[in-house]
Amino acid sequence: MTRTANSRFTEAELLTVLVSRDLEDEGHGFIGLGTGGRAFTMAVGIPSVAAELARRHRGIDFVTQYGVAFEPDLARTPSNFADPHLLAWPSNAQIRVEECLEYFRRGKMTISFMSGAQIDKRGNLNTVCIGRQGAPKVRLVGPIAQPDQCTYARSTVVIMPQERRTFVEKVDFRSAMGFGDAPGDRKRLGLPGGGPRKVYTDLAVWDFDPQTETMRVTTLHEGVTREDLIAACGFTVDFSPQLGTTPLPLNEELNLIREEIDPQCLMLGARIT
Amino acid sequence: MKIKQKSFAEAVALIHDGDVVGIGGHTARRHPMALVREIVRQRKRRLHVVGWNNGIDMDLLIGAGCVETVETSYIGLGSFGLAPNFRRAAEAGRIRVIEHSETTAMDRFRAASMGLPFLTTKTGIGTDLPKTAPSMREITDPFTGGTWLAVQAIVPDVAIVHAHTADVYGNVQLDTERWHDTSPDVMIARSANTTIVSVEQIVSTEAIRSRPINTILPRVDVTCVVEAPYGAHPCCCDARYDYDLEHLGMYARSAADPAAIERYIADWIDATGNNDAYIDKVGARSLMKVSLKRSTRQ
Repeated sequence: MTRTANSRFTEAELLTVLVSRDLEDEGHGFIGLGTGGRAFTMAVGIPSVAAELARRHRGIDFVTQYGVAFEPDLARTPSNFADPHLLAWPSNAQIRVEECLEYFRRGKMTISFMSGAQIDKRGNLNTVCIGRQGAPKVRLVGPIAQPDQCTYARSTVVIMPQERRTFVEKVDFRSAMGFGDAPGDRKRLGLPGGGPRKVYTDLAVWDFDPQTETMRVTTLHEGVTREDLIAACGFTVDFSPQLGTTPLPLNEELNLIREEIDPQCLMLGARIT
Repeated sequence: MKIKQKSFAEAVALIHDGDVVGIGGHTARRHPMALVREIVRQRKRRLHVVGWNNGIDMDLLIGAGCVETVETSYIGLGSFGLAPNFRRAAEAGRIRVIEHSETTAMDRFRAASMGLPFLTTKTGIGTDLPKTAPSMREITDPFTGGTWLAVQAIVPDVAIVHAHTADVYGNVQLDTERWHDTSPDVMIARSANTTIVSVEQIVSTEAIRSRPINTILPRVDVTCVVEAPYGAHPCCCDARYDYDLEHLGMYARSAADPAAIERYIADWIDATGNNDAYIDKVGARSLMKVSLKRSTRQ
């Protein structure tokens, strides 16, 4: 439904391939059971297909945990995440939700996939509100499990659309920790997890400078200029000294996604534009 | 043995204005909606509602003017987006919102259900969450000197949860097939001073005793049980029924408009008067549509 004949790949496919290449053998990734539309593609679809692609293309062993369900069969993903359907989803395990989040506290989760309404240059996230928390301009859903994920996962990866209003100097409410206010904050506060590693957007790939613990652009997607990115970012953009162009997906990777992993576009259905 | 089955009116009369009320369920699954509707009918006021991941349950109570404080990690309508009554009330500053991560919201109940004064966590350190939550304070690990947050136990005045079956004495069961996102209901039920459980069906004690492993709350944990067929509607309820997406969509549209939510409350809650009449109004066809699997794999 989103793959037109004249485009070589969609942005969702590109991000999927990039995330997939970063996944490590013997990793354990947490994917929330999100809701519909574009948010679903960002939070669930991309990491899901990326993990399966990494298994099939690079042969890594990678455990995906969808909330309480361990390693469910992606080919039999229900169209609706209501209980009767989820209960019948073939999976290795369905465990109690309080236990499922203890994998974070136990330090077992190697990677977790995040997004937010706002992110700042230190990777701090906000899913609570725009404006002052007591009487905000826009009230959002709340912190969900993001504070747990960002505190405890060995690393987090942020996937969100690149917009001036969402990439901000300072988040209005810090609901989940990135690197805090200053370099070394995570260590000083005794946070067990490693913090954000990369930020993938529809325009670029960012990483974090290990010295300053601030975001910098490592690659721009094909056809995107520095000016495009500066215009779509609310804070001063740092470019990596080794700034490059985002590597393209291989035909082999695209074929696996389109023909084997997500042939009906259930996972990557909502196009990121 | 004391009979603990009560009518809706009797059970909800145990809730008083200003009470702390713990609510079971998760997102749009197995919230005790029949009890929530009765709270709306009785126009309880100034409630402090506590959960760990909420949706239409809290949004409806907020829309009906029952709520002063909410304490949870999420209030949203799933695929229907933000929770409109919650959003309006929060933006107007009419309600206080205590922000939790999922684990710290659970820890409040978990600590109480274990008989502990608090549990400790790293979650929330460095964030703005503790500023909204007087129940989260820094503490020093006596063994290592490390800094942790203590999450204080909460003992709600009343807890309301929904389950599958119970006998009249209040032994509460879930079917074997249950989606584990609602497993904290047990902690919520055990944390409170008064625990009201609605169930799909009141069954015989013999039926309960034939499958003791399915009992999640022995009667000592339960103040009263209420029979509420389709009592989680329009939320889903494990293998028993699916979301009623039509109703949830209609609710989301109504909640978006203050006049429309008043009409929704008048038509669906006040005019029906009780859960049986509500279920009649939803109608057999709608209920059959969501009842994908009317028997479980037991």
